[in-house]
Amino acid sequence: MLENIRYFFRRAIRNMQQWPLLCSAAILTMAVALATVATFFLVVVNVEQLAANWTREIQVIAYLEDAPTARELPGLFAKLENFPEVEKVKYISPSDAMARFKSRLADEASLLEGVDRNLLPASFELMLKAKFRNQDGIDRVIERLDNTINVEDLRYGQKWLERFNTFVGMLRFISLILGSFLIFAALFIVSNTIKLTLYARRDELEIMALVGATMRFIKIPFLLEGALQGLLGGVVSLGFLAISFHLLIKRSLTSFWLTPTDLNLLFMTPGQQLMLVIAGVMLGILGSLTSLRRFVRF
Amino acid sequence: MIQLFNVTKSYGGESAAVKDLTIQIPKGDFVYVTGASGAGKTTFLRMLYAAEKPTKGQILVNNQNITRIRSSQIPYLRRKIGVVFQDFKLLQSRTVYENVAFALEAQGKKRYEVSKKVYQALKEVGLEHRLQRKPLELSGGEQQRIAIARALVVDPLILLADEPSGNLDMEVTLDIMELFKKANARGTTVLLATHDHSLHQRFPRRVITLEKGKLITDQQSHHS
Repeated sequence: MLENIRYFFRRAIRNMQQWPLLCSAAILTMAVALATVATFFLVVVNVEQLAANWTREIQVIAYLEDAPTARELPGLFAKLENFPEVEKVKYISPSDAMARFKSRLADEASLLEGVDRNLLPASFELMLKAKFRNQDGIDRVIERLDNTINVEDLRYGQKWLERFNTFVGMLRFISLILGSFLIFAALFIVSNTIKLTLYARRDELEIMALVGATMRFIKIPFLLEGALQGLLGGVVSLGFLAISFHLLIKRSLTSFWLTPTDLNLLFMTPGQQLMLVIAGVMLGILGSLTSLRRFVRF
Repeated sequence: MIQLFNVTKSYGGESAAVKDLTIQIPKGDFVYVTGASGAGKTTFLRMLYAAEKPTKGQILVNNQNITRIRSSQIPYLRRKIGVVFQDFKLLQSRTVYENVAFALEAQGKKRYEVSKKVYQALKEVGLEHRLQRKPLELSGGEQQRIAIARALVVDPLILLADEPSGNLDMEVTLDIMELFKKANARGTTVLLATHDHSLHQRFPRRVITLEKGKLITDQQSHHS
């Protein structure tokens, strides 16, 4: 058994050395296919992250007609915090609001001298739980607010955020379709490249069958070869992605387009990197398997 | 050893490649299969190692009915049969040693066993000094001897040769005939398809003659 495994590996590596050009063609094809799919994946992941970052800021601000008294406040707090959609409640008293306004005016703060400290209305800022950060969640919170307190005015997440969410949903859908299409295309190309390498070796396959090699014995070295090529293809695509991500995209995007604090671009997690390499191995095996069926027959 | 009963093989055309053949070949026999090209010699041999299935009739090889053989069993049948072709069918990218070792490796033989047997087989055909050469660096006669070494290295019960001397001159052909005779003397049944009549005049043995797929003569020779 061990002898056989060693033989299969020797044969697979020998084959790859014997046809370096075909072998590198297969590896490169797989690397390009995998890198394309992975790039797509990275775009989706980062856009989703962006969406998550932006929606984190969705909050409902309720301006109150009358500032609640110190005795009413804890009761109101408790009520608002009990809303199932709400994550955090913050109370801004009129003086807090004035202080904030002042700090925003900075040098011009003197303009506010002599102005009544209670001029600005008191307000509650309601942060929503992640799954309610959408139009529906906002609508429900507004309805609850109307039934709970005397609200003078409401401010909440802008309309465009809703549209952005729709866009992300669509992107996810398109990426699923395009991604599976890409994977099939990759499989097709890889299988054809491998078919080419098998075609170049059809004599060998014929002679093996002639001298009494079993189907398994003929196929395993080729499957192993496909797996090894897939492995290399996966590693090459990973290396390519890592280098282009760190050297080009991350550096240029963060310095030119977005402020670094605004967005930290995500790369694949170690688990996802492993998945990419495993996907390469699977691609290689599957590609060999589909083409072997055409060439090895008794 | 080899028995054919009313074997017919047609490829769907009007005339069959092999028609109603009934032949018995006992173990250790040496048989020439002759006839003009297109007479059905190659089809006859191909059916014996299950590269073709007969359309009608039954074939028994070593008491196994190979007309009903499952494809997973074909490799095990072929391990008992060595085949030699007119075009040698060697792997040009492999060395002489690797070409012969291939047959043993395909049967899953151990590495030390392989090297010993390959050396012996190459010595048998007089090419043990060419181990590391590639086939194309050798003459046609030498290439055919490698092919014969590959066929014989597995100690086959049957050796099938399809026009083995078709591309070779007479002197080389005589060398190769010696190899077949030696294998036959060790007990291997030899079937040699050829259209070269001089061979069986020089080395008289049983001759089966085919014409348009039919058996027309089956002459036993009286060699000693």
